[in-house]
Amino acid sequence: MQNSLKFKLPDGHDEKQFIGKLADQYALKKEPAVAERFTICDTFDWRLFNKSLVLYASGNRLFLRKLAKDKILHSAEITSLPVYIWDFPDSELKRQLAPIIKMRALLRLVEVQSRSMPYRILNPDEKTVARLVYEEFRPSRRKDASALANHLWLKSVKGYPKNSRTLAKQFQEAGLTIIKKEDIFFKALELVDKKPGSYSARVNIQLEPDMRADKATKIILRFLLQIIRINEANIEKDLDTEFLHDFRVAIRRTRSALSQIKNVFPTRTTDRFKKNFAFVGKLSNELRDLDVYLLNEDTYKALLPPVLCDDIDPLFDYLRKKRSKALQKVIRGLKSKKYAKILQDWETFLNKPPHDSATIPSAALPVIDLAHKRIYKKYRGVVKAGNLILKKTEDERLHALRIECKKLRYLMEFFASLFPRKNLSILIDQLKKLQDNLGDFNDLSIQKEYLLNISTEIPVTHQQSKKTLIVIGSLIGTLEKERQIVKNAFAKTFTGFASSENQELFKELFASKS
Amino acid sequence: MTTLALYSNKGGVGKTAAAVNLSYLAAQTGAKTLICDLDPQSSATYYFRVKPKLKSGAKGFIKGGKQVYKSVKGTDYENLDLLPADFSLRNLDVTFDKLRHSKKALRRILSPFREEYDLIILDCPVTISVLAENIFNAVDYALVPLIPTTLSVRTYRQLLSFCKKKNYDASKIYTFFSMVDRHKKMHLELMVKAAREFNGVLKSLVPYLAQIEKMGIYRAPVAVYAPGSLASKSYQNLWSKVQKKILSSKRP
Repeated sequence: MQNSLKFKLPDGHDEKQFIGKLADQYALKKEPAVAERFTICDTFDWRLFNKSLVLYASGNRLFLRKLAKDKILHSAEITSLPVYIWDFPDSELKRQLAPIIKMRALLRLVEVQSRSMPYRILNPDEKTVARLVYEEFRPSRRKDASALANHLWLKSVKGYPKNSRTLAKQFQEAGLTIIKKEDIFFKALELVDKKPGSYSARVNIQLEPDMRADKATKIILRFLLQIIRINEANIEKDLDTEFLHDFRVAIRRTRSALSQIKNVFPTRTTDRFKKNFAFVGKLSNELRDLDVYLLNEDTYKALLPPVLCDDIDPLFDYLRKKRSKALQKVIRGLKSKKYAKILQDWETFLNKPPHDSATIPSAALPVIDLAHKRIYKKYRGVVKAGNLILKKTEDERLHALRIECKKLRYLMEFFASLFPRKNLSILIDQLKKLQDNLGDFNDLSIQKEYLLNISTEIPVTHQQSKKTLIVIGSLIGTLEKERQIVKNAFAKTFTGFASSENQELFKELFASKS
Repeated sequence: MTTLALYSNKGGVGKTAAAVNLSYLAAQTGAKTLICDLDPQSSATYYFRVKPKLKSGAKGFIKGGKQVYKSVKGTDYENLDLLPADFSLRNLDVTFDKLRHSKKALRRILSPFREEYDLIILDCPVTISVLAENIFNAVDYALVPLIPTTLSVRTYRQLLSFCKKKNYDASKIYTFFSMVDRHKKMHLELMVKAAREFNGVLKSLVPYLAQIEKMGIYRAPVAVYAPGSLASKSYQNLWSKVQKKILSSKRP
């Protein structure tokens, strides 16, 4: 028998009655009841749930377990509930969660309380030979509320397998059933109307191949608008940097869709919204840049010689101040009439049924044809531009190629549901490798420039600031070295991406069949 | 994993009481603990209300492996398991002597438990023969209860010279004063003398108390039926010394 079995009492069965009956047969000893409170946590985008993990705090400890499993994988003592991974005490738990949670804040999703009533079953020597625990879960702070779940644990004691076997058999004969897959997690979240996994910034759109292109495009754009709305509401709370990030990505994807899915809407409409979303995007450029620098604080420090490590602090203090101003600016922008109007217009437009017009050439095209055409054309453009860079590697060209790759990636993601998933994900992975290289190069270039500029902003009044300038200089040097390494890696990365196998695969998947 | 023997070459010094209480206190800290009752008198087994029976008796025990593993019983306390004694263990000395690696048999028998437990405490019978050598070969440390009487101290000297003769590292032997009667002048004087004479004397003593003798009535560690009593406190104190001076020191 397993170490412990979880039983469900049949409906209408009272646990006291059941245990009372057992007491007639066995020497039963009741032990003090234990009441506990659990706070279940996850990130806004369900990073833990997506990995089938449940994180909860109870007493002064945090526990991690697999969904629908009772075994605790890791736990750690805490003084207060951590919000960010860097608030966690140094522990195995932290090491396990760090790559999953990353920079996201942990939200307290729901609190439930449990009450366990343990009993020991004794033999004639009054030795414990099995344990029973009746466990009940209730919504926290609502005493009158009915139980969310209750069950009876039968825990065997090592060396006394017969006793628990007999009991288990007896339980089943009395109508109790063994519970295997059930998790209080779901019931607790239902209490607060939260649906696990309900939010993800990933593009997840289901299209039909013969759908009209304008209708399909609106579906894509409506999905993005939803992401914009969800995140926009949370930026002000400043819980973590990723609400803004997801918001910005959705804006960028919207702009990309408007310019890349050509000729599905009237030109004047497209132009107007392109302009509007360019404005919305710009609102938060500065804030996002500052977020990126501050998220990289530790990485920067690791690049510095240890003796200079602390001298960089004034730079980050300065950036932090700048950030809080930038945040206020963004919040004002999002509350402005102009912003409200832009989004309102957009929503109205997206909800209008497409109107037939001979002047919009691709509107009525089956979306699959448009997807083929656009993706393949973009792909060939990327290969052509990349080949030019191989001949002569210039920073501007790399920058332009990065943008083109991003457009290609967005197109592939918008139309993903129209293509065989396996082949598509191979190509997206290949593209991702190239994008990583180009992205690194771009980040390093921008960071270098930014540090150069910021060094003129920091007022040099005393010794400390002068030292900070030296450190910034050292950092710029390191970044430049790194930048050259990444630049040199381009040729190999691109050659891999543009290999004849990949070209064939792209052609097979996207070249127009008509 | 650490193994600690409660050992003495003299009887009636409080080995079992110490082994039972220390293993309980260790388990309470969260350490997975196993107490092995090697004494055919099976007192430790009795205190935990377990039947003194090993699967296939001493034969199975000597074979080691699965049989021994299957004999382990969970006690009434969290994290604490017991390997019960068996009457057939009374001939362990003779049986070990006949084996090829006669002095390392116990070490081999206990090896399957290394993975599972953080601490293994052996409650040993009185011996200074092959079994004693098996014990010294199997454990990281030995803890010897010492009654501050002339005979007890004399026996302890015999043990140390035995170790010297057999080349066992005496630095892994620790001692504490047991069954101390504070009203006896001789006890007090001998404690001072012994602390000067021997290395590894823990600054902790367990008095002679009726509360400890009651373990036989309650069949439980002292801290369970008399928490907060002097008896319970003295074992708690002994446990913290064991933790600090022995378990957290570097292995020999």
